[in-house]
Amino acid sequence: MINRRDFLKLAACLGASLPIAGLPSAVSAALKILDPESVPKLIYLQAQSCTGCSVSLLQAEAPDAVTMITRHSKLVFHQDLSAASGKQVLDLLDAYISGNAGDYFLAVEGAIPLGMPEACVIGTKPIADYLGAAAETMSGAVAIGTCSSYGGIPAAEGNLTGAVSLNDFYKTINKKPLLISIPGCPVHPDWVWKTIVHLVKIGLPELKNTRPAAFFSRKVHELCPRYHDFQQEIFAEKLGDKGCLFKLGCLGPDTFADCPTRWWNCGQTWCIDANAPCIGCASPMFAAKRDFPFYRNAETAMSGTPGEKS
Amino acid sequence: MKIDIGPVTRLEGHLNINTTVENNIIIDAKSMGEMFRGFEVFLLGRDPLDAQQITQRICGVCPYAHAIASSYAQEAAYRLKTPPNGRILHNLIQGANHLYDYLLHFYQLSALDFIDVTAVTGYTGKDPDLSHLRDWVNHALGSKESYPAAPFLPRLSGTYVTDTDINITALKHYVESLEIQKKANRASAIFGGRFPHATGIFPGGCTRPPDIDAIASYQALIRDVKHFIHHKYLPDLLAVAGAFPEYWHIGQSKGGFMSYGLLPFGPEPDSSRLLSPGVLLDGKVETIKSDAITEDVKFAKYSSPSGLKVAQGSLTPAPHKKGAYSWVKAPRYDGHMLEVGPTARILVDYLQGGNKTVKQLVDRFAGIADIRPEQLNSVLGRHLCRAVSAVVIADFLLDQTEQINPLEPFIPEIKIPEAGEGFGLTEASRGALLHYIRIKKHKIDHYECVVPTTWNCSPRDDKGTPGALESALIGTWVEDPGQQIEANRIVHSFDPCLACAVH
Repeated sequence: MINRRDFLKLAACLGASLPIAGLPSAVSAALKILDPESVPKLIYLQAQSCTGCSVSLLQAEAPDAVTMITRHSKLVFHQDLSAASGKQVLDLLDAYISGNAGDYFLAVEGAIPLGMPEACVIGTKPIADYLGAAAETMSGAVAIGTCSSYGGIPAAEGNLTGAVSLNDFYKTINKKPLLISIPGCPVHPDWVWKTIVHLVKIGLPELKNTRPAAFFSRKVHELCPRYHDFQQEIFAEKLGDKGCLFKLGCLGPDTFADCPTRWWNCGQTWCIDANAPCIGCASPMFAAKRDFPFYRNAETAMSGTPGEKS
Repeated sequence: MKIDIGPVTRLEGHLNINTTVENNIIIDAKSMGEMFRGFEVFLLGRDPLDAQQITQRICGVCPYAHAIASSYAQEAAYRLKTPPNGRILHNLIQGANHLYDYLLHFYQLSALDFIDVTAVTGYTGKDPDLSHLRDWVNHALGSKESYPAAPFLPRLSGTYVTDTDINITALKHYVESLEIQKKANRASAIFGGRFPHATGIFPGGCTRPPDIDAIASYQALIRDVKHFIHHKYLPDLLAVAGAFPEYWHIGQSKGGFMSYGLLPFGPEPDSSRLLSPGVLLDGKVETIKSDAITEDVKFAKYSSPSGLKVAQGSLTPAPHKKGAYSWVKAPRYDGHMLEVGPTARILVDYLQGGNKTVKQLVDRFAGIADIRPEQLNSVLGRHLCRAVSAVVIADFLLDQTEQINPLEPFIPEIKIPEAGEGFGLTEASRGALLHYIRIKKHKIDHYECVVPTTWNCSPRDDKGTPGALESALIGTWVEDPGQQIEANRIVHSFDPCLACAVH
């Protein structure tokens, strides 16, 4: 009988090369009747984070957060929700990360202060120690949000702590765990929860540049309901105007994310629906450079941007 | 004996507290902020309009408060003429953010200190949420998992509510509040663009026009939140208070109080506010002088000079500095240690006779609980002051929506001056929040944030005076020195946010 860890590795290999629809039907059927007790555990750690991604995860609508942690996954630890505190937490983390408490996935929110380990400590140990040890025992890691995916604001110009992404952290210490990056500042709750459902029920989702392809295959601009305005050259000239926001500095043309079709806050709205230019919060270059402001006049906006190219 | 009670969970970020316990009494406490990023350095040399975006990332729990403080500071620096609608939209966003935050704090961050989550195992009713939770917990407890029913178990040892009805009702509302907080955040996102981290907030207004479509949705969502506050949050809080009356006497901080005042009635910088500002020292409320604020770093991990005023603030990290035990600085007002937050906000307003509803609510609840207003300085007092804030804010927001003129401007034209400076003072849900911006050559020359948890979780100042939380812990009796549920309840009553405190 194939055990869960081998299975996930197999699923990872299959998922990397095939869209899920291409999996043999017997395999996908087997996955759907997994014993709930074998659902992998999630350990959610915060590094140099603002908790904005965690708060965003609570805004999930369908499935909502309670459904996610009681039906689709098992959240063994989260700083903001766990009743356990103090030494209980340190014991729990040690039990899992030593490999003695069963299989688990790691979810990491925030950047890792590679140059100054003391800039993020849990109990008495730098978070880097926990993450390094986890590379040996975890089934895989999910980088939650732009800080964990790319470094984000802690790694912006002026970076005092040597803050890096989870991927760069593991590269630096020569580890190659299975890693999925889900950027966004904050992350959209659907992007995370639905990736986790996929991991638990089916295996690794199709990835593109380490991001789940389902959410990050198209640019905001391509999907934007104001693309028509762009084509007709109906541009917002000042803040508060309707029309294409490109001349105000909208970074939709440089940012991979499905915000225009998914919307935010239970489908209530999203940035561009509120006439707010996209600030490229899911981009590897988000907030990275002092000389690249979020908002620009028409001349500089037209002069090209350092965003991600397809 | 010395015992670390961290990482303290159910609060934002990385907090450890080193306690010294003798004969079950905490005789010393050191509050240790354990995470540092360096926002004031990231902001240098940037376009000033970046600030209300970057500073929101200090804290994803109260990002809107940072956006508002930054907007106020920029409005002052730009000498911006804020349209009345612009100020109202800021208020609608910020106020709704307070409401979500109070619910999140009471149910998700604090309730498990008091409510017995295992009560659900014997639930016999028909509520689908509770039945599902019962089956889920029972199944987990019967399994061979290493940590069954996490994250709700294990928990700290101690006394929990024994009344089944109170426990079951609170657990039902724990789940329900997760739906209600989404409504509060949907309301603020209407004008902010999304929550967390609004993209629609600018100095002097918002990008989303307040048309009927937007206003009607906002009102409907806030009415639902208000209903929950009155009919579930307040009764649950009073039930917990009834079960643990000793917590009106536990967790007093030993300094003064300060509130910057919350939610201006008009667009002008000196407009009066729904909750009045002031600093409370020795029983007297005084007008706040922002140049009386300094930040000590003798016990904080910085090599930059100590005792600097806000406009001169400096940030050089020194993780190995001798004697330093926290990344949090120690702000002081004219040398005084202060508590900020809900108790400060309500007490400062109450003692000035500012808001009539605040006075009525405080007097009414003080009567129910048989306490004096000074006992708002306690674990339960902080919880009650959040609920009082929630009641007056919800009414104010609905009233503000009636003041909008949809045909008038909602965002000013913004021109960044070559040079300028400005302070932005407001109340985040966790307390007094200050932003300061100085502009030179159209760029940010200096930016400083003095944040609520910086005050509350500060280490010793240069004179050795403990911070507000430290002072509230010292002298507390704990049944189990290894776990200290009593200390956890005190810490949670402050609702610390360490990402804010250090930033």
